[in-house]
Amino acid sequence: MKYALFLGCKIPSRLPAYEASTRAVLGHLGVTLVDLAFNCCGYPVRNVSRDAFVVAAARNLALAERAGLDLLTPCTCCYGTLRHAIRFLDEDAELRARVTRTLAAEGLAWSGKVEVEHLLAVLARKVGIDTLTAAVLAPRTGLRVAAQYGCHALRPSDVAGFDNPMAPTLFETLIRATGATPVDWPRRLDCCGDPLHEANAALSDSMTQAKIADALESGAQAMCTACPHCHLRFDSTQAGAADPAIRVLLYTQLLGQALGLPVRSLGL
Amino acid sequence: MSPAVFNAALYASVALCALGLLWRVSAWFRLRIGPDACEVTPSRRVLALCRGAASALSSRRVFRLLGAFVLDVVILRRLFASEKLRWLAHLLIVTGFTLLLLMHALAPLVSARLFPGYQPTLDPYLFLRNLFGVMVLVGVALLLFGRWRAGLPQLHRPMAAVFVALLGFVLVSGFLLEAHKISSARAFNRMAQQFIGTADPVELKPLRALWASQFGVVFDDLKTAIDPELPAQGRKLHGDACAACHTPPASAFVSYPVARMLAPAAGLLDAGPADTWLLYLHVFACFLGLASLPFTRLFHVVAAPISVLVNAAGPSSAMSTAGRASRRALTLDACVRCGICDLHCSVAPQARYLGNPWLLPSHKLLATDALATGRLLRSGRVRDRLSVEGLRAAEGAFLCTDCGRCTDRCPAGLDLEDLWAAGRGDLAAAGLPAPAQWIKARSAFAWALSLEARPGQHALSAPDAAYALLSTDCRIFSRCVQCQTCTNVCPVVAHSMGSAHGIDLTPQKVMNLLRLGLRDLTLGSRMVWDCATCYQCQENCPEGIRVTDIMCELRALAVQRLGAVRGLREPS
Repeated sequence: MKYALFLGCKIPSRLPAYEASTRAVLGHLGVTLVDLAFNCCGYPVRNVSRDAFVVAAARNLALAERAGLDLLTPCTCCYGTLRHAIRFLDEDAELRARVTRTLAAEGLAWSGKVEVEHLLAVLARKVGIDTLTAAVLAPRTGLRVAAQYGCHALRPSDVAGFDNPMAPTLFETLIRATGATPVDWPRRLDCCGDPLHEANAALSDSMTQAKIADALESGAQAMCTACPHCHLRFDSTQAGAADPAIRVLLYTQLLGQALGLPVRSLGL
Repeated sequence: MSPAVFNAALYASVALCALGLLWRVSAWFRLRIGPDACEVTPSRRVLALCRGAASALSSRRVFRLLGAFVLDVVILRRLFASEKLRWLAHLLIVTGFTLLLLMHALAPLVSARLFPGYQPTLDPYLFLRNLFGVMVLVGVALLLFGRWRAGLPQLHRPMAAVFVALLGFVLVSGFLLEAHKISSARAFNRMAQQFIGTADPVELKPLRALWASQFGVVFDDLKTAIDPELPAQGRKLHGDACAACHTPPASAFVSYPVARMLAPAAGLLDAGPADTWLLYLHVFACFLGLASLPFTRLFHVVAAPISVLVNAAGPSSAMSTAGRASRRALTLDACVRCGICDLHCSVAPQARYLGNPWLLPSHKLLATDALATGRLLRSGRVRDRLSVEGLRAAEGAFLCTDCGRCTDRCPAGLDLEDLWAAGRGDLAAAGLPAPAQWIKARSAFAWALSLEARPGQHALSAPDAAYALLSTDCRIFSRCVQCQTCTNVCPVVAHSMGSAHGIDLTPQKVMNLLRLGLRDLTLGSRMVWDCATCYQCQENCPEGIRVTDIMCELRALAVQRLGAVRGLREPS
């Protein structure tokens, strides 16, 4: 199994532990990752120009296509953005013509061959839950974990194609594979508040804190994330506090520990 | 050249250089970059630097600084890691230039003292001077070639071109001067007079023949075939009077072939007299380079090593406000505009597509500099009281994703991310904040009135302003039955309840305004700008309306259309 690894902008600069643990876990499970000269997925520029956003995304898709690889991303926002770009390209022939011209100036082309996959979906569906369960050497038995899905993995479901948007089970299944116990928490499908932070910090904080409180009330000992935006939002909201209310754990770290990988390789 | 003229020019250029350096270095403590920099006075910044330097030098950290100096200043390992060709070019220039400076320009102070019997016309000095000159020229050519190959703009600042032009001029004039002196009969006669006591062509016929045939001197009367016996007869006199200071000039592997090429014009040059004016040109170009050092790209030889040492002391975040403020100003000077950051910039495709180079790190650095010195908002075109350059710079600054690749790849190891954050703070303070901020500074209604006052405004950079498909296509939202599902599932609405930071319209009201053809009223709406893009509304809409996609489209449209009336006074 071989993928082009799309890290996006946030992971290398703000959350290197996610990169380290992703590489460690996937390497251990026999998934080969290839690094290409990707650019930003296009997410931030969507507020200024839809074309520029689709061009940026399409350039990444074209780079993967040139390498003959599907794209795997551990960032939920990049996942949503790249898949959205494909939708826009599919439904708007004029846009596609403009993008094709722009890419051609660089000698690139996108024909729609590249599949954009989320890290969690690859683990659950391509590597497989059975393989994961069999590879677990140090089950995290007794750890109660709240799965933070992240909006752009689930919605809009016709773009994301990740799991049932109203009642997803993929993340909980993955948590169970590590031996930990997923908790049911009412706000599990809510937004973490991060995309709103620059525009309205007070409102964003209120959303983040509501989720943390809900996870704690539901008996979770840790919150498990699979997106740098969610992860950093929970971390930085709690950063001021003397005692962080809840531990925020990347799924790759949880799985890595269960696989018995050295903690240092997981950025812990 | 008369010593008086030489000394006057030397002292004047040294004085100018010193004053310029003082001015440039003082900027490290004067320039205010970042809102926090306003909290500290220049004197506190000087004090912070002295204190930092003293504590670093008196602790074990001095070894770390020493290591950084060797690895990052002398060896330039970061440049080696990213661009081998430019690393080689830089190495050639630095080595060649330094050795020329020490061995040739400062010969009386360095070479004459270190090497007994040093004469510039003896080997190996003759050969080495040519070698060092060629190293610099080849280095410059490689640098320019490297920029061209990478598709970077060539020397986009005039003062950068001045430095390269001066450097080239000094080297070419040096080679020409040497070439001319090799072939000059005048120089031969002058020296014969001085060391033999006569320059009589008859008396010195064998020596002249020897020098004409083997040393490249061009005598007007010796242009026809020379008797092959003659040069041999001149050997004795040559050995007594000349050989101690002169080896055959063929080892000047550049100047000698040039001299041979210029041989037909040697008499003309001698009459010039070319040795005088070439010397003046060569020396004065050097002095001009020295005097302009603080204001050309050459200033990085001062700023970059200091910056490396400051960076080695620790990250910006660990420094005091005073230290950080100075470090940012120093960063502006330590940047050599090599453009490697631009090659790795995450948003470079967006910069190209939007036609806005201010997204790229090299431009952002210039913008930060121009904003701190007040040039950005003073100069350039102004539209409706707003600086167009400032608007472009702000668009670029707020589209940066902080991916950190520029900082990672910078061969000088500059902390650019801290600079970008500071620059965004300054832009916001100057009235050019992120779109969400400037749009939310007025009500949706006030924006709609402004749009009415100025119909048909053209946007700044809007390649796709005409392609607002979702919010203009009535088939998309006309199905809306105002059931309020979108509003009920919206977390922003839920968290706005009873909050002072709440929204004005609900998603369902935004859809309704679109249904009524009142799109202008939605553009500045808090709901549009505080939308978390969680896609709950879109996922849950029973009519399948792409509510969130419409919100995103409205934002892009607002940036373009409200941007065009942004400079107008708020309607009362």
